[in-house]
Amino acid sequence: MNALEASQETPLPVVRVEGVCKSFGGIQALNDVTFDVPAGSIFSLIGPNGAGKTTLLNLVTGSFPADSGQVVFGETMLNGRKAHERVALGIARTFQNIELFGSMSVLENVLVGQHVKTRCGFLGAMARLPRTIGEEREARNRALELLDFVGLLDSASQRSTDLPFGWQRFLEIARALATGPRILLLDEPASGLNAVETASLAELLEKIRKSGVTLLLVEHDMNLVMKVSDRVLVLNHGMKLAEGSPCEVQANEAVIAAYLGRDKAGPGC
Amino acid sequence: MRYLFFIAAVLAAGFLISSPYKLQLLTFIGINTLLALGLNMLMGYAGQISLGHAAFYGLGAYTSGILTAHYHWSPWLGLAAAVVLAVAAAFFIALPLLQLSGFYLGMGTLGFGMIMFVVFRQMSLTGGDSGLVGIPGLSIGPLSLDSPRNYLFFVWAVAIISIFLCERLINSRIGRALRAIHDSERAASSMGIDTGKLKVHIFVLSAMLAAVAGFLYAHLVSFISPSSFDFLVSVRMVTMVVIGGMASVWGSLLGAAVLTILPESLTVFSEYEMIVYGLVLIVIMILLPQGLFRGVLDIYERAGSKPGNASSRCQG
Repeated sequence: MNALEASQETPLPVVRVEGVCKSFGGIQALNDVTFDVPAGSIFSLIGPNGAGKTTLLNLVTGSFPADSGQVVFGETMLNGRKAHERVALGIARTFQNIELFGSMSVLENVLVGQHVKTRCGFLGAMARLPRTIGEEREARNRALELLDFVGLLDSASQRSTDLPFGWQRFLEIARALATGPRILLLDEPASGLNAVETASLAELLEKIRKSGVTLLLVEHDMNLVMKVSDRVLVLNHGMKLAEGSPCEVQANEAVIAAYLGRDKAGPGC
Repeated sequence: MRYLFFIAAVLAAGFLISSPYKLQLLTFIGINTLLALGLNMLMGYAGQISLGHAAFYGLGAYTSGILTAHYHWSPWLGLAAAVVLAVAAAFFIALPLLQLSGFYLGMGTLGFGMIMFVVFRQMSLTGGDSGLVGIPGLSIGPLSLDSPRNYLFFVWAVAIISIFLCERLINSRIGRALRAIHDSERAASSMGIDTGKLKVHIFVLSAMLAAVAGFLYAHLVSFISPSSFDFLVSVRMVTMVVIGGMASVWGSLLGAAVLTILPESLTVFSEYEMIVYGLVLIVIMILLPQGLFRGVLDIYERAGSKPGNASSRCQG
């Protein structure tokens, strides 16, 4: 909780979403949503299916533009910036349906993640100057470190899609971390994981936060959300229903009525 | 090491073979290797299809052909002009076309190929249907490349250097980014890869190789006509890539060799030639869907391992 305390002293959000609206052909996916993601926190977005969680995440990563409102990253206005430019700024993501590079090895996937951290272009690759060789070696070492970090070092040379499902999620996280993000957006990282894998995911999330990366989580697994989150935002029908600490959200009558249900007594409350 | 072996093979072939026909056949394999290699960079690695690549082949051939035959430029200046023109054309065509994907990209590039074919046929400069004659041979300083043997060495030198550079490119940050686009464009852009820009760049590189191949072709045969750059030639280039093996630099070489030698050696079947040709291609694709290069390697590896150990086959 050190990070949270620090953020209360200096309220500098990593991501600030202000009055964002988005509709898809008459369906209002997001309606005037505003929130701050404090630096160094684990921030969760929850809500029923179709509440607009993934849409919100896609607006932050730049998959499509918002109809109105703005997304600010640190002090940079993100409106109008393309997805790949936002990665270079420090916004990384994973996907709800894992999207690994299937033709590549585990290690290569993480190497692709370092695209924005390396410089070599067409001519540099063909000339293969000492600079390029050095850069490649560094990238490789960093990739191995990251694989060690998520516990996949032993599988480095395996083909990525041959990994067990749960490990593929961890690889996707390592690959996203390779871009050197300040914030990492995870779209339902626990879906499809068993209890043991979810527990090690929770540990990994804590480890990532400790390394200085802010986390924005879209998740349905309430045990995980309530356990790791510093702040929780509840969306319903594209609107903000509630926001607060896990305990506050769990005690909120509107949230219980719309999403959590009566019997959901969360941990630590 | 592989390259030393390869260079030795080319030298041996060049000095041991004396029949001008066979030497020229080998030279054509070299030219087709350049075509297949360029298209493989685009199709096999970046996953973007082009059904109009003969346009760039023709652009290279006609640019240098016209400048040397009509205006008496040095062929090397002709080559420079051909490459510049192909790069410019590819760049402007790629900007709108590569917004498309899948079948639509195929249709778009097909359209571009058709337009260029009409341009080659209709322009007075190109000589129209009757073709462009009097394209001079090449010489490097005092060394004439007129003899089939010298031209063979020259073409293969260009091909080997191109293969070498492309292989380096593939095993680099750029090569990984290209394969990433092939696997998942969405994930690639979430890694910070400017997918739009990279696709344009690889399209341009691919067009450049085709233009160089066109230059080599024009100055080899000294006479070119539009039929050498029509839709069927584009299709043949795609076939070389697929037969040899997508995403395989050496497969391009193999695909080019097969599709150059096969039609020549099938002439014994006279009027059934095309049927046999089609059948061979179908059989290869059914038995070795990953292409000849990968397929033959797999068979070799499988023969080396124990019969029960068929895991590499399942991963196919």
